Amino acid sequence: MSRRFLLSSGLAVALVAAAGLLTVTTPRVFGQAPPGEAPAGPAPKTPWGAPDLQGIWTNSHDIPLQRPLKYADKEFFTDEERQALDKQRGAIVSEDTRRYGKGSEQDVGGAYSTNIFLSHKPTGRRTSLIIDPKNGRMPPLTPEAQKRRNEIREYQLALLRATETCKNNRPGCAGGKYGPPSPRRNEAPPHYIATGGAGGGSINRSDGPEDRTLGERCIAATLPDFGGAAGFYPQIIQSKDTISIFYDTGQGQGWQRIIPITNRPHLPSNVRQWWGDSRARWEGDTLIVDVTNFTAKTDFQGSRENLHLVEKFRRKDANTLEYTVTIEDPTTWMQPWTVTQELTKQEDKFNRVYKEPRCHEGNHGMPALLIGARVEEKAFAQRKGPDPATLCSAGCGGFAGGFADEGEEANPFIQ
Amino acid sequence: MMKASTIIVAILSAVVGALGMLAVSCGGPAPGGGTTSGVVAGPAVPRTADGKPDFSGIWQALNEAHWDLEAHEARPGMVTQEGVYPYEYARVPAAPVVALGAAGGVPGSVGVVDGDGKIPYKPEALKVKQENGANWIDRDPELKCYLPGIPRAMYMPFPFQIVQGGAKVHMAFPFSSTGRTIHLDEVEGPPDYTYMGHSVGKWDGDTLVTTVTEFNGKNWFDRAGNYHSEQLKLTERFTPIHRDAIQYEVTLEDPNVFERPWKISMPLYRRLEPNAQLMEYRCIEFVEEFLYGGLRKKPLVKRWENETFIIDITRKVPEGEKLYEWYRR
Repeated sequence: MSRRFLLSSGLAVALVAAAGLLTVTTPRVFGQAPPGEAPAGPAPKTPWGAPDLQGIWTNSHDIPLQRPLKYADKEFFTDEERQALDKQRGAIVSEDTRRYGKGSEQDVGGAYSTNIFLSHKPTGRRTSLIIDPKNGRMPPLTPEAQKRRNEIREYQLALLRATETCKNNRPGCAGGKYGPPSPRRNEAPPHYIATGGAGGGSINRSDGPEDRTLGERCIAATLPDFGGAAGFYPQIIQSKDTISIFYDTGQGQGWQRIIPITNRPHLPSNVRQWWGDSRARWEGDTLIVDVTNFTAKTDFQGSRENLHLVEKFRRKDANTLEYTVTIEDPTTWMQPWTVTQELTKQEDKFNRVYKEPRCHEGNHGMPALLIGARVEEKAFAQRKGPDPATLCSAGCGGFAGGFADEGEEANPFIQ
Repeated sequence: MMKASTIIVAILSAVVGALGMLAVSCGGPAPGGGTTSGVVAGPAVPRTADGKPDFSGIWQALNEAHWDLEAHEARPGMVTQEGVYPYEYARVPAAPVVALGAAGGVPGSVGVVDGDGKIPYKPEALKVKQENGANWIDRDPELKCYLPGIPRAMYMPFPFQIVQGGAKVHMAFPFSSTGRTIHLDEVEGPPDYTYMGHSVGKWDGDTLVTTVTEFNGKNWFDRAGNYHSEQLKLTERFTPIHRDAIQYEVTLEDPNVFERPWKISMPLYRRLEPNAQLMEYRCIEFVEEFLYGGLRKKPLVKRWENETFIIDITRKVPEGEKLYEWYRR
């Protein structure tokens, strides 16, 4: 059995990641399709005359969601700037000897290293995925959303207060200060713990599975999804009245989406889902999808149950699918904002989509985290170990996604 | 124009006709599968531009196969234990389902296995199957929200959706938010053995015939402990028997577990509600208490003994809700 050695999906992912890394380090001639990408041609139609969106797609370039501040109102990079950024990013992510002091809590984040688990792609032409507002950045939060974010941050900092992360004034403790263990460790968090970023994210506690991030719980897949270093291969298959998208994303956190092409109304407003409720219609060559009915557990950049998406899928040519989404939530942002992304078609033959969201099936990490926390508590109770409140297992900083949280090895896209 | 009521009668009679065919196919293996030669009754089967049957739509099996593929009588509980009398036929519901009353039982079924209705296990494999059944709560991957595998996903008690896109026929399953693609074109296989298998299809007249391989051997067929190894090879046949019904047949081969190939068959029915749609069943979060509850700092269940949770059933019936009081209101 030649494939038996690939027993863990982690290994399979590692090979994919290694292949992805090559695209960063190997010089590439612009305009030439790399191996695995489909040949060029006009946008095809289905036998029933609709634009044909079918295929396995991926983002061929890394583009930051928000424009780095230093590029201000500059919408596109020059080819020279892209090459320089590729060199700078490649040098950071391909360096496999970086350590944040062996044995330190920050060193743990680096274990999930780019060389083994993640892949980075060449820098794209755009300086941000966001095309509206014009400055390429998310609009300001509403006072209500800012309050939510502050409440989460205060709670996070309370749980980090007695750790080395705060003692050493590391970036993970930004906004907080070192002190004795907080009684808030015994309180429920002010909002549901969801993905990272603006929404809040991880807290330094492992009382139960809900304390850990959605990623650690194997339910991180979110809508919209612009891909990332952990891989992204949506596969579209369509019939006259339905679009199926299987999102192979986040290393085993993939999911199945069904988009009905219908003028039926949305689900009743009391029915809420993680990925909302999609309704699509064709407008010329563009599929327009309206998504509402998100659950309060979902978290896209701080937006929860009031998230409203208007997605547009348009096949520009045989090889290119343009995805544009307008993101709206008057309880979170002062104005709607719009992201656009070009996806490149992959050769069907290579079947580069893994319909096996099996993160959960192999989630030894979750019981290990919880058992570890119980062992620490027991050791402390028996005066054989430190106060668990002084230990850091989330939000400690270090290398995440291949980049450091500060200094020269931080992600140039967000420096 | 037919009146609406006439149309409904027409559909019903056609579906009854389909059920009749199931009864025929269950009565004994018919030559050639017993369905491909059947004349399609009722409204015309939808077809694609190239004349093939168009299976696109929302479908669901309506049977007890998800409980047990084999013929079985009704059971008083999903989990049972020895009752007051020590007879195997007098078992009573066990603790995990006592509070569910009649909703916690298992419906009986004539089964979906062709021929004598029995799965032809090898003797040692039959022992494993029986142990599986006895340890259902601990062993069934469904309870852990693991990927359901094929054919199990096809007859779980959820609707599923077929999106037929030419060279690919895709099936979307709510349970565990997963899907499978049947490739009618040439593609490379998966890089590793899989839960959901690798499906390759071709048309045989109006029948879509698929071969499914590359299983990792971690799935079951049902809640009765019926199982297979990574050697499982499926040959599925999807045949339209009505506009709103597909005859689904599977030949199962697995030399590690079975004496010989065997077959299951059942109709899949179209969900006719005009507003039918797949709903999320993101069960990973539903099973966290089941899987990790014993590792909480403050367990929700009263008492854990290692991985065993002890449930003290102290259900207090509220005033006015006691047996018979409810009727008198």
